[in-house]
Amino acid sequence: MSGNLARNTLGATPESAPRPVFQPLPGIRQQVKISPAEIQLLSKYIHGLTGINIEPSKAYLLETRLGKLLENEKCDSYSAFYHKAKADGSKRLDMQIIDAITTNETLFFRDANPFDLLKFKIIPEIIDKRATAASGSLAMPIRIWSAACSTGQEVFSIAIVLRELLGPSPQHNIQLLGTDISDAAIRQASYGAFNKFEIERGLPRDRLQRYFVASGDNWKIKDEIRSMATFRKINLMESINGLGKFDLIFCRNVAIYFTLEDRVKLFNKIADTLTPDGYLIIGSTESLTGVCPRFIPKRHLKSIFYQLR
Amino acid sequence: MQALKILVVDDDPVTRALLTKRLTKSDYDVDTAETGVVAVEKIGHQFYDVVLTDLMMPGGIDGIGVLEAVKGSHLKTEVILITAHGTISNAIVAMKKGATDYLQKPINFDELIMRLEKIQNWRHLLKNASDLRMAMEITEQTSGETIQNLEMTVADLQARLTAIRDVLERRELAPDERIAMALNG
Repeated sequence: MSGNLARNTLGATPESAPRPVFQPLPGIRQQVKISPAEIQLLSKYIHGLTGINIEPSKAYLLETRLGKLLENEKCDSYSAFYHKAKADGSKRLDMQIIDAITTNETLFFRDANPFDLLKFKIIPEIIDKRATAASGSLAMPIRIWSAACSTGQEVFSIAIVLRELLGPSPQHNIQLLGTDISDAAIRQASYGAFNKFEIERGLPRDRLQRYFVASGDNWKIKDEIRSMATFRKINLMESINGLGKFDLIFCRNVAIYFTLEDRVKLFNKIADTLTPDGYLIIGSTESLTGVCPRFIPKRHLKSIFYQLR
Repeated sequence: MQALKILVVDDDPVTRALLTKRLTKSDYDVDTAETGVVAVEKIGHQFYDVVLTDLMMPGGIDGIGVLEAVKGSHLKTEVILITAHGTISNAIVAMKKGATDYLQKPINFDELIMRLEKIQNWRHLLKNASDLRMAMEITEQTSGETIQNLEMTVADLQARLTAIRDVLERRELAPDERIAMALNG
């Protein structure tokens, strides 16, 4: 704040000059403006960090989302902030930029269709296939990956469906992995606590009472559901080879922030990560047409899922 | 915007009357309960935006009991506790249990009105956010249906084009035979 005030008077009229007509409103911070060159610089930097593509027309996002970081770091311009982040060997600022720029919009059971699909088609099919395949395959884990799990709502929604479908001690070994690029999101997901606004979204009352315990103003997922999932920080722009193969991948509403080129790369990597008869679920408004011809869309009731050709 | 509905819970009739008078004057919709037990019963029957309750009350259910009852039945109800001087530690316990705020006796009415206005502003923002979300969800749902239909149509057309190409490339057939087959799908 003091930096801002100092800057406003720097190089301005001398003390004796008449006061400018427009005084900054008390309590309203003067926002540092971003220049077109800085928009380009930071967009490129953020794309490198996250894969997120910020169109020049959406440059206001940089101001609204990074403004506070600029203030915290006492940087008086976006280029100063950029250089500080770039020079920071600890990557502390990069992490903060990622947390600020990523959209954590998520809710429990976002769009009911994929969860019905999971319950009535995908999981029963996988289990059937395991049962009819060679002996020993029953013991093979069923691996599910939520590729951009944000603060964990999608993963816990999947876990709740699995619990309701398979009971408390399923015969099958199920591995449920949630990954996200944001440390803060992964931290919250791992902790499994949600505030009243988060739990009000998408979570019916009976499920809230069955699977969560109140702790102050927050609600914490019960250990029996929490223990079904693991969480890791993963940047989808980087290699995902180390994750192994999955029977089911949820990659919803994350590729929408990427350029077409990055989407092509991502879904190719996902195709490599899926078992040959595995299932991919993308966001309801997303399409793989022109993105990844290795996938073929299939319809079941009101939902679409993808399988490899 | 509709006035906040407030339940005032206090065993002291003078405080109840005073709070009712001041809050009604400021256009709030006020109801009262003389004990924690009555409050819990009322909370069970209807929704209040704010429950303003004394912390120390005789009769088995105190302010914390009222708070717990509210939190057990209405997530959207805010609870403000009124504490006697020197019992702030109790108020902090209550805040940890989900109370929105606390006021110390003697009640400063300006302060109370300010807190209520804050809650009202907060409500207003939440309503905006929830309207936006609903609009987004409806947009997402309808555009999702359109996109998914297109996705299936494109996949179907692609499959048909591939089949046509395959037929047209069957060198063992005469050209007009190939064309006839392709046209018939």
